[in-house]
Amino acid sequence: MAKWEVQLRKGCLELVILGCLWPGKLYGLEILRRLESDSDLVLSAGTVYPLLSRLKAEGLLKSEWVEADAGHPRKYYQLTPAGRSRAVHMARMWARFSTSLKGLLSPILKEGGK
Amino acid sequence: MIASTGAKPVIERYLGRVRVALRGLPEREVDDILRELRSHVDELVGKEGSGVEAALQSLGDPVDLAQTYRPDNEIVRARCSDSPLIILQGLRRASRGTLGRATATALYVFGYSTMVMLWVEALEKLLARSRGGNPPSGARELLGWWVVPIALLAGWGIKYASDRSARWWIGRHRRSQATQEI
Repeated sequence: MAKWEVQLRKGCLELVILGCLWPGKLYGLEILRRLESDSDLVLSAGTVYPLLSRLKAEGLLKSEWVEADAGHPRKYYQLTPAGRSRAVHMARMWARFSTSLKGLLSPILKEGGK
Repeated sequence: MIASTGAKPVIERYLGRVRVALRGLPEREVDDILRELRSHVDELVGKEGSGVEAALQSLGDPVDLAQTYRPDNEIVRARCSDSPLIILQGLRRASRGTLGRATATALYVFGYSTMVMLWVEALEKLLARSRGGNPPSGARELLGWWVVPIALLAGWGIKYASDRSARWWIGRHRRSQATQEI
């Protein structure tokens, strides 16, 4: 993977975690699997858990331990009101940024596809 | 299903190394981190049938993993804290080895010391009066008792400004780090 692509993916980590948790609460492994199924992002557990911890410390997420049927507890995360408003802000920024590049990129995609 | 008895020592050894590398963070926070990592391994082994080694590999090197938790947590805590020690730790973590960090730290220490001096001044005034102390003969007090609220307010204002500017610096460092990553 090209270096710039790695950097691009790193730059949107926070947004994709907030996006994962937008519909409801999930625990760590569910977040990882959701990222794999709903996006191209394959992240390591060693990246996601510290990031969840940071987002929680910033007040964007809250967590609770739930005793699962599996025999071990699971730590569920969900967005706080601040997390939801950050997610909306970031999603709007991302969409605006992506739209603003459309004019530049469409000729490249058109001609590059030939 | 939780990891088998034979796998437990391997998991505990890994978590022990993470615990050592997290030394310095509050005990409760460390326990919570380790509990979550243990739950992750149990989940992978129990639900997805993964091997213990593969489950631990997904977390990476224990020391590297702990380091990923550490700077973020210290910096985030510093941005939400009023404690001078925690703010100084945050400054220490931010932009290691730069002139900017040294300047930000020096300004913070200067602001904090000024606040302490002003509050000591206010306290001295109160104590001097209760001991019956008066200004030397011929000397005239400009502010009189007003020196007490003025020193207290000015000290609080300087502390507030120092905290805000230190937190701003720490936040700026985090933003510039994020920009480098993008």
